[in-house]
Amino acid sequence: MKRRDFLKVAATLPTLSLLPLTSEAAPGSPDRIVVFVKLGGGNDGLNMVVPYQDPQYYRLRPTIAVPRHLALPLEQNMALNPYMKALMPFWKAGEIAWIQGIGYPNTDLSHFRSLDIWETASAQYRSEGWLNNILPRFKQGLHGIILDENAGPFCGKDCNAITMQSPEVFLSQVSLIQDIRPNATSPALRHITQVQHQLYAAGEQLRTKMSRPQGLNVPFSTSVFGRRLESVAKMIINGVDAVAYKVELDGFDTHVNQVDTQSNLLQHLSVGLSSFANAMKAAGKWDNVLVVTYSEFGRRVQENYGRGTDHGAGSTHLVMGGRVRGGLHGDRPRLNELDHNMNLASPIDFRKLYGTITQNWWRQRNPWAGLGVLPILS
Amino acid sequence: MQVLTFSDARHLVARTGLGAEWETIQRLVGKPRAVAVDLVLNQPISLPGAPPAMSPWNKLEPLRQVNPQGRKQAWVIAQQEGKLLQGWWLNHLIRTRSPVVERMTLFWHGLFTSSIQKTLQPSFLYKQNVLLRHYALGNFRYLLHEIAKDPAMLVYLDGHQNMRSSPNENFARELLELFTLGRGYYRESDVKAATQAFTGWSLDPNNGTFVKRPDQHSSKRVTFLGRTGQFDGDEIIDILLQHPRTAEHIVTLLWREFINPVRLDQGIIRHLAQAFRQSDYDIRALMRALLNHEAFWVKYNRGTITKSPIEILIGTIRMVPYPQEGITELVNLCRLLGQELFDPPNVKGWAGDQHWVNSQTLLVRTSYLTKLSRGNLNRRVFTGLDLPQTSNERLQEWMLAVPAVNPLPRIPGDRRLVRGLLLDPAFQVV
Repeated sequence: MKRRDFLKVAATLPTLSLLPLTSEAAPGSPDRIVVFVKLGGGNDGLNMVVPYQDPQYYRLRPTIAVPRHLALPLEQNMALNPYMKALMPFWKAGEIAWIQGIGYPNTDLSHFRSLDIWETASAQYRSEGWLNNILPRFKQGLHGIILDENAGPFCGKDCNAITMQSPEVFLSQVSLIQDIRPNATSPALRHITQVQHQLYAAGEQLRTKMSRPQGLNVPFSTSVFGRRLESVAKMIINGVDAVAYKVELDGFDTHVNQVDTQSNLLQHLSVGLSSFANAMKAAGKWDNVLVVTYSEFGRRVQENYGRGTDHGAGSTHLVMGGRVRGGLHGDRPRLNELDHNMNLASPIDFRKLYGTITQNWWRQRNPWAGLGVLPILS
Repeated sequence: MQVLTFSDARHLVARTGLGAEWETIQRLVGKPRAVAVDLVLNQPISLPGAPPAMSPWNKLEPLRQVNPQGRKQAWVIAQQEGKLLQGWWLNHLIRTRSPVVERMTLFWHGLFTSSIQKTLQPSFLYKQNVLLRHYALGNFRYLLHEIAKDPAMLVYLDGHQNMRSSPNENFARELLELFTLGRGYYRESDVKAATQAFTGWSLDPNNGTFVKRPDQHSSKRVTFLGRTGQFDGDEIIDILLQHPRTAEHIVTLLWREFINPVRLDQGIIRHLAQAFRQSDYDIRALMRALLNHEAFWVKYNRGTITKSPIEILIGTIRMVPYPQEGITELVNLCRLLGQELFDPPNVKGWAGDQHWVNSQTLLVRTSYLTKLSRGNLNRRVFTGLDLPQTSNERLQEWMLAVPAVNPLPRIPGDRRLVRGLLLDPAFQVV
């Protein structure tokens, strides 16, 4: 193809992502990064941020409630699970927003379906994740990096996201990819060659930036979750220009013997996030990062006979970062006003959180503007 | 009378089969179109081997109901048996002598989809697969009536919970939206009316077979698509089959699958749909008309479809006899490439075409094809890899639907050339 033809083709493409090599030259990482942490299985928000002054909480959870004397007081009669004490310094510094009562009405109690709804931001069986509609408008080149196998919210043909176990493994795989000029023989071939071009550019970028990476002076846990957060931190401080990352912590489906399982997971979560936040602070990047958790649903308020909890609805999620307006957002859980499945209500639509990130963090048109925004950013 | 050139025969085989198999192409070259199409649509019957052992309904369902531990156990069993079932179908896809039947079975699996994840009943998914293969090129009327009574479908779309006392609209809604009319051709009141008609369609708790429970069937008079009466589900399906939209909807989906996923010709689609209804929904006759149509053959519709993961994984090893990955690894690759059999992403099945390819899946596609073709490329070394003895031009015409995007390897040798073509982006389209 002649160069002139190439330009003609480029002009007809919907996104300008043919030119990622120019943005790659920009120094440093972008200043508006989001790290999504998926809590797989349905995290019990009620035992994470606990209504420890509410007698109804102890009545409904006689064996699995967080004991009053162990809970770490936050504010407004709510307290943090003691296994999350690693996060207390950040709470005290006003860097954590807890969003209570977040979810969607008539919550679907299937893991798969409800996760789809969270990740596509739609109950209409869409095949594209919500970030596929946001990130391609926000920037050219690389959009996201997923530190596991499920692209989730990044799914979609326009979202330039790469999936990796670690940057090292990715670099060995991507060495097979050659650069290519987009070819317009058919829309199908045009898409394939465009993706290949983007993939090559992502590989080049990681090769350049991660071949002799600047190290982190902060220790991370050696668990899979810890190592993945460490990889994210390394990529951010070494100037990889993705604007969103996703890591996953799995195992929150606590139908039986919840306390041991969840305590262990919450500890992993908070120790990992604490290391991550410290690494960002040490690199002067904490103001450029938001950490956001999500999960397919919360859990049933009343504990079950197995000292666990069944699938629920509304829950509590965390947003953390140097520019977060800390505090408890949303109403405290109303244990006397449960839905027909005896689950917590979700007065805050989760898309309001997505919209807040879209509008106030990435400064893009908010598709959910009608829901308003949450005052979680300063 | 038009006879097939090599490139025509290649097009017909690649579009309707699993890989552009050299021998099959050779058999069709020089045949008149209509003859070639008939040969393709009447491949010898080739049935899959015995399925893996699977837990019956009446073991898994009570386990699932008993308590959370039981549910977890049922889930683990369903996952394990589900993987075996995926491997079972993959094995058949590798070996079948009737690839067109499998292509149609995959098509119906994407439309009348059900999933192991929701049903937790691998044996039901097996049964559904047998049903879809049986009617793959059969009669759509029977297929639609049967699928509505299929146990996997009854669980997947909650039909078995649709009772007079507590109606569940899930199946009725998808029947109208996905299986027959398509959005915009019915109202909410039609969904509600159809839901009433299907109340009491359920499963025998003892053996998981279809039963109608008269005590749970609503005898309410309803209005469905302008007709008022007391309907049973079968009557609803017959009304839908009288509606011209049903045939148009199915023909449109087949057009996207076999001709061009983005460029539709409404005039031809309507014409084919009319013939489909006149044949009383004979799928083979419809496919014959579709594949004989000029639209199937024109140059601008070639190379317009992105190969599915199954075409990349299975189609390639059916074309070129490279050493194969084991079945467990192929099952895993299907997952990484986004086409887990019996486990669609949602009720709409797989979005397909361009959605198959993103940064993640392109990396896996490339790794797979690189690994597959990595043997010794030196033409003086005998490797036993049996490639067609033909010219370089013909090899290129065989491997790719459209000209190569990359420059071809300068060093001679057919193994090196075939590898170069395999790794060309043009190999990803058909």
